[in-house]
Amino acid sequence: MTVPAVELDGIWKRFPGVIANSGANLTVRPGTVHAVLGENGAGKTTLVNCLAGVYRPDEGAVRLGGREMSFSSPANAITAGIGMVHQEFRLVPTFTVAENVVLGAAPRVIDQGGIEALVADLAARFGFDADPGRPVWQLSMGERQRVEILKALWREANVLILDEPTAVLTPQEAVELGEVLRRMVAEGRSVIFISHKLDEVVSFCDEATVLRSGATVAASLPVAEVDASELAKLMVGDVAVEPVPVAVAMPGDPTLTVDALSVRDARGLLAVDDVSLEVRSGEIVGIAGVAGNGQRALTDAIAGLEPVESGTITVMQHDVTSAPPQRRFRAGLAYVPEDRLGVGLAPKLPVTENAMMRAYRKLRRGPIIAWDDADQLTDQIIREFEVKIGSKGAPLASLSGGNLQRLLLGRELTGEPDILVASQPTRGLDVAGVRAIQRLIVQQRDNGTGVLMVSEDLDELLALADRILVMVEGRIVGEFDPRVATRADIGAAMMGGSDRGTRPDTEEVSS
Amino acid sequence: MILGVTFTEAGVIGLLVAAVQFGTLLYLAALGETISEKAGVLNLGLEGMMATGAAMGFIVGVETGSPWLGLLGGAVAGAIVSLIHAAAAVGLGADQVVSGLALTFLGLGFADFIGDGYTDDARRARFADVEIPGLDDIPWVGEVIFRHSPVTYLAVIIGVAAWFVLNRTAIGLGLRAVGETASTADAAGHSVVRLRFAAVATGGALAGASGAYLTTYLVGSWSQNLTAGRGWIAVALVIFGAWRVGRVAIGALLFGLTLALKSRLTLFDIEISGQFVDMLPFLLTIAVLVVISFRARNRPSPAPAAIGIAYRREER
Amino acid sequence: MKRLVLARRETTTRGGQPLAFLVGLVFALVVGAILLRITGDPVLDVYERMWDRSLGSQNTWSDTFNRAVPLALAGLAVSIAATMGLWNIGAEGQIMFGAIAATFVGRLLPDAPGLVLIVAMLLAAALGGALWSFGPAVARSEIGVSEIITTLMLTEVASRLIVYLEQGPWKDPDGFGFPGVTPRPDQAELGTLWERTHIGVLIALAVIIGFAWYLRRSVWGYELRIAGSSEKAAAFAGISVRRKVLGVLLVSGAVAGFAGGIELLTTTTGKLNVQISNGYGFAGIIVAALALMRPSGVAAVALAFGALQVGGQAIQTNPGVSPAVATILQGLVLFGAIGAAVFSTYRLRLVDRQVAES
Repeated sequence: MTVPAVELDGIWKRFPGVIANSGANLTVRPGTVHAVLGENGAGKTTLVNCLAGVYRPDEGAVRLGGREMSFSSPANAITAGIGMVHQEFRLVPTFTVAENVVLGAAPRVIDQGGIEALVADLAARFGFDADPGRPVWQLSMGERQRVEILKALWREANVLILDEPTAVLTPQEAVELGEVLRRMVAEGRSVIFISHKLDEVVSFCDEATVLRSGATVAASLPVAEVDASELAKLMVGDVAVEPVPVAVAMPGDPTLTVDALSVRDARGLLAVDDVSLEVRSGEIVGIAGVAGNGQRALTDAIAGLEPVESGTITVMQHDVTSAPPQRRFRAGLAYVPEDRLGVGLAPKLPVTENAMMRAYRKLRRGPIIAWDDADQLTDQIIREFEVKIGSKGAPLASLSGGNLQRLLLGRELTGEPDILVASQPTRGLDVAGVRAIQRLIVQQRDNGTGVLMVSEDLDELLALADRILVMVEGRIVGEFDPRVATRADIGAAMMGGSDRGTRPDTEEVSS
Repeated sequence: MILGVTFTEAGVIGLLVAAVQFGTLLYLAALGETISEKAGVLNLGLEGMMATGAAMGFIVGVETGSPWLGLLGGAVAGAIVSLIHAAAAVGLGADQVVSGLALTFLGLGFADFIGDGYTDDARRARFADVEIPGLDDIPWVGEVIFRHSPVTYLAVIIGVAAWFVLNRTAIGLGLRAVGETASTADAAGHSVVRLRFAAVATGGALAGASGAYLTTYLVGSWSQNLTAGRGWIAVALVIFGAWRVGRVAIGALLFGLTLALKSRLTLFDIEISGQFVDMLPFLLTIAVLVVISFRARNRPSPAPAAIGIAYRREER
Repeated sequence: MKRLVLARRETTTRGGQPLAFLVGLVFALVVGAILLRITGDPVLDVYERMWDRSLGSQNTWSDTFNRAVPLALAGLAVSIAATMGLWNIGAEGQIMFGAIAATFVGRLLPDAPGLVLIVAMLLAAALGGALWSFGPAVARSEIGVSEIITTLMLTEVASRLIVYLEQGPWKDPDGFGFPGVTPRPDQAELGTLWERTHIGVLIALAVIIGFAWYLRRSVWGYELRIAGSSEKAAAFAGISVRRKVLGVLLVSGAVAGFAGGIELLTTTTGKLNVQISNGYGFAGIIVAALALMRPSGVAAVALAFGALQVGGQAIQTNPGVSPAVATILQGLVLFGAIGAAVFSTYRLRLVDRQVAES
């Protein structure tokens, strides 16, 4: 047997409060495309970052071609022949393609025409279509990704790591990427391909390693001989989770109606594509999906933070499609955004000033804020939602994650909203925090509030939601009844599979 | 007489010669600031560094009797004081605006302090004009371009060298990358701190040389407040030249022309206040900045994106 | 192998900033002493003289107080803009244009009763300062033009404008042909409280306390803080960032312009000239930075800077000692404090140097 190109052996990596990797293994043979599969939070990115010199593993060995390595920085790993394309590109927008490719590994004196020709040659060798003289800011995301790959090739990377490379690509670009990767391995290089999209893995990769909860659950499976549904099962596992007690829903009148909504992102692409949904009072509608499939744009548009391309949003019979956020709040819409500290809260400001963000217009006496009332409001939120704080005057950033979320949720719920939109409300919280937030959300539902809840944690949605919608590439592709549906069913739909759900009686949904 | 303005040949040539002389002064300082800002460090201490260079340039010049050593002394002094800004803004991550302004105070004070005993000193260590053989006889052009102090020719050489380093070398590529997105440059293996320190020090040296040019050529003596706000014009010039070495040079000649014109208004019978001529560089810079900002709506601004942003690698 | 790194503290040390300021002050005095030592000047004599002339007696307290007024108002102007994360670098120019506007009103109403004239001139000064920041404010809020550069450029324009007025339209007919603006009407002079301490001290204190209170307590101040926190958070709360940018820069300019008015009403010559701002606008930025942009702190730091400046002037009378030491000290205080402040947010830590194998 040949010496593996890469061996990660028993990798442990702990962060404050989180164990990202617990004895994960990965072995990559030279000349292969190797998939690293797993759900969000399974520890894929952390594991490969240990290989790319971004992190140092707490325990475990990193071997390249049989030699044990210890990288102190990404630059070290690059020298050793590891190239990594991160999800966030590391490019200089005002530089040309060629300048970006050679940055950090340029000849001492640069002949502009010369490096452009060299970069063009390199691109041609791997079947890229790249204009080396164009500034990067003019390029599409797919083209930028090619520049990142060219950077690695320029440094003669022997192992190329791609972290969720297809997330920013159109289907056509994804196919092209696959062809480039085949050429690379044909030259004897190895590619590590991180993904959670099964169809890509099946079509691009030779072998797959599956991670779950930071550990390897299946190593180096030959993709050609494994069934896709088998891989899906390995990824999501079969663990039974002790559920938060949820009573049977008694859905009432519609509180939120979204009709044929489309939203464009900063790049001008459709992030939300013709989505229609309805949330009635007293039910929790869950939105499942892999991160980056338009969930954030959908909830931001509902809350009024993102302009709508077409379609309508109705809250309690009021059309709020173009209303500012505070009008929607008054109409009965509360919002817990995904980016708590950047959007929902102001981390440097005191607790009180965060607690009053929604209500301050009602707390004014002329030009002055009635601070006694503001303090009372804050006290009330802190008491009712059991927020633990040092002092009301302390900066919000001094609170723990769970308490931040309680404060945010508490603030949004003080207006007794009719509809609560919560995006990733439990992400990043510890177990106790997760349970507390989940209980609060269920309690809202039982009090007759409609809840639209986005989560990447399928177990959470299965436990809490009364209906689950699956979102892929900006569309709702299926609806499931959590009492009947299995994780595998929903998982397959999330991965872009063909299953349309367990409720044929509901509205037809487009594929 | 055209439009009530009297031009004489000698007058116009004198004006253009002075424009090149003032242009040299502004160019050296602005070129240094361009290099610093290209690496992402705004240094508003230009006035202070120039003053320090002017005082030190005079002292070294008259004590050694060599204007060349004076120029060198000014450059070294400018570089040394600029390192205080680098230490605060790059090393400790202090706000670049505040630190630069504090450097203005420090530099102006330091210049007055070391130059205190040299005010009204009658000694001189002054560059003589150098005529480029064969070219200085060309009518008009010869007089305007080829009869200057060596500092002017040196400034041209430094300008070309700076352009080459910034645009045609690996170090220049790294330096510009550090000024655009420091984290990207860091990930590519360039040391952000080292490049920024080097850029700030180079900027300080050129500002110091610019100040020394005042005391070893343009004025020839040292007195308080000798720089008289020219450092701020140089700050404006960098923006006017859109952070490009060549355009900054053209801007330096244009701004130099306004400085030269101000003292010659009566000579040409131009009946506007010299103060308005003096305002022109600043108003033109504001206009350029507005145009840049308008255009930045659908393309990146020519301003280095990381200006004013301290960089600290995330600790893992 | 070990190396030293700066590690961020979990929480910033309480009371760190006043301490950092004091460390900065001590640092400046020590470096100043070394400089004096090098030139062979009597260090203690010089410092004693600085102390005597600035804080030594009731009489000299007056000079320190008076000097602190423009420094504090300029610092307040800077810190108001900083509530939203904006930089008003042009307080210097706004002080000048405030003084121009006040002079204009003085020329317009030469015979108005003193109190009326004083109020009118001070209002004009504030309006003038706001006018001088109007361009940068609109350019920033509508097109996103950096207010740092525009306000700085307009400072240079304002100083030329004053020289123009001195030489031309406002030239004093009784000035024996020398350039210089006609002095303000005699009745438009702020009276004194005690010794040479003028009423401007009281007015400035009231303005600072007023703004400190208003920014803390008002809806406007609250909205500024949210808008300055992040654009997204402002959108969430339904606050228009553009309007806040415009408003806060205008108010900041008005406060600086007001300082120009006070200076004009208290100068002994009664004349508008380029020295009316005397670097207060720039020093005010350092004052505000040392006070961490808090209005309450601005007053205290301004007082210290006032003492430093007044004391520095006194050195001049010492034969052979350069008055420039005081200017150096002002810069050094900030650098010393920057160095010291680093240790209130960071601490030095020894870590293993990671040895790479390649």
